[in-house]
Amino acid sequence: MVESAKQYTTEEVMAAAISKELKDGEVGFTGLATGTRTATLIVGIPLVAMGLAQHTHAPNFTIMCAGWLLNPTLNEIPTIESEFDCRLLSWKCEARICDDENITYMARRGDIDVGFCSAAQIDKYGNINSVSIGDYYKPKVRLVGAIFQTEHMSIFNREIVMIDHERRNFVEKVDFISGVGYLDGPGARERAGLKRGGPSRVVTNMAILGFDPVTKRMRVESIHPGFTIDDVRKNTGFELLAPERVPETPPPTAEEIRLIREKIDSRGILIPR
Amino acid sequence: MPELKEKLMSLRDAAGLVKSGSTIAFGGMAIRDHPMGFIYELIRQGIGDLTILGWANGNDVDVLVGAGLVKRVDTSYVGLEAFGLAPNFRRGVERGEIEVKEYTEVTGVDRFRAGSMAIPFFPVMELFGSDIVKHNPDIREAICPITGERYHAIPAARPDIGVVHAPLADAHGNVLYGPTRVLYTDTDIRIAMAAKKTIVTVEQIVDHERVMRNANLNLIPKYRVEAAVEVPFGAHPCACNCLYDFDREHLREYTQAAKTPETFRAYLEKYIYGSKDHIDYLNRVGGMRRLLPLKHGRCA
Repeated sequence: MVESAKQYTTEEVMAAAISKELKDGEVGFTGLATGTRTATLIVGIPLVAMGLAQHTHAPNFTIMCAGWLLNPTLNEIPTIESEFDCRLLSWKCEARICDDENITYMARRGDIDVGFCSAAQIDKYGNINSVSIGDYYKPKVRLVGAIFQTEHMSIFNREIVMIDHERRNFVEKVDFISGVGYLDGPGARERAGLKRGGPSRVVTNMAILGFDPVTKRMRVESIHPGFTIDDVRKNTGFELLAPERVPETPPPTAEEIRLIREKIDSRGILIPR
Repeated sequence: MPELKEKLMSLRDAAGLVKSGSTIAFGGMAIRDHPMGFIYELIRQGIGDLTILGWANGNDVDVLVGAGLVKRVDTSYVGLEAFGLAPNFRRGVERGEIEVKEYTEVTGVDRFRAGSMAIPFFPVMELFGSDIVKHNPDIREAICPITGERYHAIPAARPDIGVVHAPLADAHGNVLYGPTRVLYTDTDIRIAMAAKKTIVTVEQIVDHERVMRNANLNLIPKYRVEAAVEVPFGAHPCACNCLYDFDREHLREYTQAAKTPETFRAYLEKYIYGSKDHIDYLNRVGGMRRLLPLKHGRCA
């Protein structure tokens, strides 16, 4: 029996669970930022998960940061507010891409196996929205726009959506599909013209969710220590599928916590402690 | 040998090359490296009814929307990164005062790739099923003549004017970049090559000999450049890659002021309408005492 860690944070539970989804030889993509909750969700936790995979079962995993930095030394990340902060020029990495052969080419060729993104809304088929809330032509709230989210969800080989579990984020139907999930059910992606990709997991502060292989509807896979299925349902704005007995997300092992806190993120920049 | 043509121009004259109703593209990304000094001069001169062809925008678009000079924006992002949503842009869209044509980040860049190659569109296969193609009629679905597959044609961008901010240029319009660059410098170059007229603002005008000694760093040769303008701290309050950092305090003041049209009007009066030129603007935002520390610790 592997020893579970005695003390860990929910973010470390998320990172350890995600690391097990990553395979040796794969390429993973995240944006780059530190210091905000969104940064922790879509950059910090995924980078720790990918680093953990490299330190354990997937030494040949390649991390692609913000479209231009390959396999940086995670434990030496500078504090940054932007994906192109000039401090990143002195962050040690295997490759720094500043010319035309960049993430656009990698993504379109199908080189990116797994990506991480977030959104303001997600629906029961895993469609996501970061464009606007309400009617598109008379929006209640105009958000920033689709950015790279569309490609994350359409031409990466799979996507892990990172989002905090709140009722206003988990909606019956998104107001604008800026990232394509399973649209309105089985076969819809393929009919629309997509050949690969889509959300494989939705990772929240309360649970790991997936998609039913037949109906393509979102379902609970496991719930993090300290939360219940009622917490999850209360914070979801649509009917969520769930097995009769929902397993607990396995807490990180003592060794995983040691790797995270000593080798991957010793200063607590990726996952604030 | 007869004398080489001089492309040096004042900021006022260079901004005057932009006609109201033009299509225009700016270099930079989000809140980094935009030609802000040039944009502020557009505001002083009230050059409006603009269609901005963008890919990842920030305070460049937001300040122009707040000054009432924008008709339409084509982009994938208008936001202030860690400083939050772009308040004027948000208000303009919510009130129906400006039109947005949605793209994604990379299809936004594809438009300048196509424009700089003078081809009419760029084919992509990643927008199927999204509401981007539902709401942007400029993106057309087509059949590939080679494979018979469906794809979307992203229209090329050939803006009337392209404006980029760069480190150095000579008086003839040769533009020198540093040896270490970030990813989107390449997109600035695409914009410079796609535009019908390219205007370059630079931190410093240098001797032609310096260009001749660093020819591999000349990424925008003079024949593509209509005007070269010396605008020190010309990206302020944006970070200018490798040269100076964000002016965080100013960006916070901006974001706060932009929350209502009234407070934003006061901001424009204080810093832009109230300053007679760029040097006056730099003094109003705090002068060298405020600006020089932004250079501390930068890499070039």
